[in-house]
Amino acid sequence: MFKKISTLLLGLTAGLSLSAQSPTDGLMMPQGQLCILGQYTNSQWENYWQGETKRSNSNLGKVSTQSAMLMANYGITSNLNVMLGLPYVWTGSTKSYITGQKGLQDLSLFLKYQILEREALGGAFKIQTTGGLSTPVSNYTNDLMPFSIGVHSKTASLRGIVNYTANFGLYVTAEVGHTWRSNVTVDRDSYLFHDELVESDEMPVPNVLDYSARIGYIKSRLQAEVWYDAFTGLTGDDIRYNEAPQATNKMAAGQVGVFAKYFITKRFAPLASVSQVLSGRNAGESLTWAAGFTYFMDVNKKAEAAK
Amino acid sequence: MKKQSILAIGAAFGLLFFATQCDKNAPEAPSIEPYAETNLEASAGTWKTYLSIDDSKTVVPTPEAPGSTAYQTELTQLKASMAGATAEQKELAIFWGSNGVTRWHEIARELAANYNVPPNYNADGTYPAPDPANPTAYPRFPFANPPVASRMFALLGVAQYDALVACWKRKFEHNRLAPYKNASDIQPLIPTNDLPSYPSEDAVVAAASREILKFIFPGEVSYINEKAEEHKNSRLWAGANVQSDLSAGDSLGRIVAQYVINEWAKKDKMGQANNQAGFPDMKADANARGISVLWTSLDIPSRPPMLPFFGNVKTWNFDDATKIALRPPVPPQPGSTEFEAAMDELRDIAKNRTREQQRITAYWADGAGSYTPPGHWNRKACELILEKQFNEIRSARAMALVGTGVADAGITCWDVKYYYLLPRPTEMDPNVTCGTGIPNFPAYTSGHSTFSAAAAEVLSYLFPDHKSELDAMAKEASESRIYGCIHYRFDCEVGLEVGKKVGEYAVTRGRNDGSE
Repeated sequence: MFKKISTLLLGLTAGLSLSAQSPTDGLMMPQGQLCILGQYTNSQWENYWQGETKRSNSNLGKVSTQSAMLMANYGITSNLNVMLGLPYVWTGSTKSYITGQKGLQDLSLFLKYQILEREALGGAFKIQTTGGLSTPVSNYTNDLMPFSIGVHSKTASLRGIVNYTANFGLYVTAEVGHTWRSNVTVDRDSYLFHDELVESDEMPVPNVLDYSARIGYIKSRLQAEVWYDAFTGLTGDDIRYNEAPQATNKMAAGQVGVFAKYFITKRFAPLASVSQVLSGRNAGESLTWAAGFTYFMDVNKKAEAAK
Repeated sequence: MKKQSILAIGAAFGLLFFATQCDKNAPEAPSIEPYAETNLEASAGTWKTYLSIDDSKTVVPTPEAPGSTAYQTELTQLKASMAGATAEQKELAIFWGSNGVTRWHEIARELAANYNVPPNYNADGTYPAPDPANPTAYPRFPFANPPVASRMFALLGVAQYDALVACWKRKFEHNRLAPYKNASDIQPLIPTNDLPSYPSEDAVVAAASREILKFIFPGEVSYINEKAEEHKNSRLWAGANVQSDLSAGDSLGRIVAQYVINEWAKKDKMGQANNQAGFPDMKADANARGISVLWTSLDIPSRPPMLPFFGNVKTWNFDDATKIALRPPVPPQPGSTEFEAAMDELRDIAKNRTREQQRITAYWADGAGSYTPPGHWNRKACELILEKQFNEIRSARAMALVGTGVADAGITCWDVKYYYLLPRPTEMDPNVTCGTGIPNFPAYTSGHSTFSAAAAEVLSYLFPDHKSELDAMAKEASESRIYGCIHYRFDCEVGLEVGKKVGEYAVTRGRNDGSE
């Protein structure tokens, strides 16, 4: 479960929050421009919350989730962007004898629409919305947590974003989102849910509410940001005492992070981020870092000319 | 325009949010339609029981005659119960009306899963032990691991069966017909039959199950009592028994189950199964027999072995000498060519485990928080009983035969495990990583294989048209432990062989119990 947390659980939301032009930030791609993101993410935890009780487990040691992700973001118009992302994920631990898992995880598609842009207070005020879909692209196991690479749920999401960017570069963004997650099939055909025995291989997966706030600076070649984001399952049960997590668990986490991106050339910008989970439920106290790059291309002659 | 789109998107968002909060419950269990019991099994009162309770102890008071005022009053009260039943109570009448025996095994599986919690380590590296005197404190008593669960399912099946045999004997002594046969204006909610209703077989099953489960799960007394009351009352809501049918049945079920507890469960040496102080001698004994590489716990910190003396617990269908005779030969020892060949297979699987192998591993793992492998087979037995629409006494007979066969498999397997003390594959090579958790006891032979072969053998006797399916299930359960790298192939193959032989003893009992 824990692996899903920062990067995976929300159909990549939090992972994408590390990069620019994501489903959760306040930025839009100009029309005709394509941005390719490549990013490596490493997330590790030793302590975790079993329900609301924080603990560690000497039979797990440190659990790690790593991913390599490619994402494309294209400006259909300057008010409508489309994003497509796919991560390859691998997991492991320092002490457990469970075989770490690896594989292509979930393909996600987002449409981001800018509803409003107004000049005000020496800057620009924007309202955007993002709709997303994701679906697993491989038959990975979701029944070997915390080593499964994901929950194997199909998701649909909707978010609202408000952004204000001052002309001198300071910006603030607030975002709230809701992700609907389909029930999943697991390898077992019996499990406990809220202490009741369910003799079925179908598990209910909680839907998720997430929100974030970010303050940053974007001007010229530099973008730098600090953020807080949080998510919570809206239903679900807790991890049972000393047992493994499962897809029915109500997971929640809140984390702070910093992010920076610098354009070395007009088109190429390396980026990096670090974040730390501060609070959680049925989730790992993850320290996550990521490094990657974005590369911008004009795929539309008109856009090139407009420049 | 812009404002309108903001509103529209806001509304869509709100709708999505609310629309998706429903249906986050687990799937409901399929409802089971109560079925008519056509074969009355009039001679079942003579079937051979597991324990020999004295006939005088199961005598029930002579019931009031149908024409008596007392019985007529009971009928009037029954009609009032039926008329006053709520919609939920009517549903419970159907729920319990399907099959009381399998309903109680369902409850037993749920309790087993909830209590299958290996204690977590203390800060000082020791492990707390569940305390029967304080069953609700963490770690709750009992830790319903596979041996504990297997014994529980056996006791439950045996108590239900022995009590129902006594019940059938009394039913046909007194021959009181069901209330709906005595009053034409009683329209029961469940199918009718010609079975004498005194004492009530449902009350017998409820009381016998209640006593056994309270004995095994002393922290669940109020929940179990509540279920037993619900079961008995369901017969009033259904219009299937009058109160005196239920009272006589409750008393009979309780007496027989208490007899099973006192004469078997308290004397079967389960109390000494976790004798950790005796473990060093066990290891010294293995050393003296020339076995030099011994199992150690892979848990961190090292966990005391699970029930090292469970192999001494009394078996149901054969004696101790037979159990010793069932012991397979010494397994390939670490360092031998045969052992290394088995390791090589596992090294390869650990590196290249397929998704299908992982699925099979997980499907049969039945580890912590599950009803254990004995529970898996308990469920299969219940499903087959319902498919074939067994009546209560046939159902209890089947659950007793499967339950005792599986419990004997556990005892026999544990005897072997602690006799040879073979390390787990991962102990011999940490690169052999697993598809599920490694159990905290020696490898040879595989418990899953032994349990499963015994269960498949007994169930194939009871449900011969399912034999090929059952054998395939047992084989897959066994191989799941190889795919998971929990066991060497020889652990599993020998486990299947021994399990099948154990199952045959239960089948022999079945063939000779007078029911055929």
